[in-house]
Amino acid sequence: MAPSSVFPFMAGGAAHGTKLPVGAVTLHDLTATPRFGLKGGGSAAWLTAHGVSLPAINRIGSHHGMRILRLGNEDILLLAEGAGDALADLKAAWTKDTGPKAYSSWREEGWAWMRLSGRHVPQAMERLCALDLRAGAFGVDAIAQTRVGHIEAVTFRSQEGFDVLFDVTASAYFARATAAAAMDCIDLPIDMEGHI
Amino acid sequence: MKILTCPMNGPRNIDEFQSFGPVRAEPDPDRTADADWSRHLFRAENRKGIVVEWWRHVPSNYFFLAERDLVTNEVLRTFDASERWAHP
Repeated sequence: MAPSSVFPFMAGGAAHGTKLPVGAVTLHDLTATPRFGLKGGGSAAWLTAHGVSLPAINRIGSHHGMRILRLGNEDILLLAEGAGDALADLKAAWTKDTGPKAYSSWREEGWAWMRLSGRHVPQAMERLCALDLRAGAFGVDAIAQTRVGHIEAVTFRSQEGFDVLFDVTASAYFARATAAAAMDCIDLPIDMEGHI
Repeated sequence: MKILTCPMNGPRNIDEFQSFGPVRAEPDPDRTADADWSRHLFRAENRKGIVVEWWRHVPSNYFFLAERDLVTNEVLRTFDASERWAHP
């Protein structure tokens, strides 16, 4: 598999053309995938009023194919993979609503969304994150708001491995940090094109 | 490594937290003598004992309170601000 590049947020920017590691630890950039975050007083009430059943804090729920991440009492993130229409409908309803509706946290622009996959992801995550993320301690519906690769991040499980959300301006750094962790924990070849 | 227990996120490296200092009284400037108001603005307490402090878990931007022993530096407990104020 050829390495893909970091989501090109700004042509010619510092991250432009940065390649993502491929191999026993593979990084996919899902930053272009639709998502919608609400924050502030009234977030939970607005979503509940629109039929969204909210999980507990630091847990993941689902609604019409979207994943609902409860990052705080009034800080909720909706991720759409294959549920872009449902998310667009909800976002359109929120935009049109003139009543109390909290505010958009602009997660679709402020945060990068990366997915770690590959058979050595557990070992790589051990080096990137200090928390116990083993299956027995960190379930499929759990969220960890912590540091991953030394930067503030939100991480949770995906079918392939782990998803990580973090400040989009750290995309190139995160790609390099993940590649370095992968190189550190395995002796299998990792495509480092663009990293050194 | 020092560990601090965030009421929302659980035990974490102290490196993930930011201290915002002790919870202070909020005197009404219109009803407070000048000397007392001046003391409130410019003087910091430096006593022994237990202090209640504001802390923030940075990755989740969650503010909470901690009781800390100023002599031993032991954090006695951490708790959500709603425990102290019904409507913080």
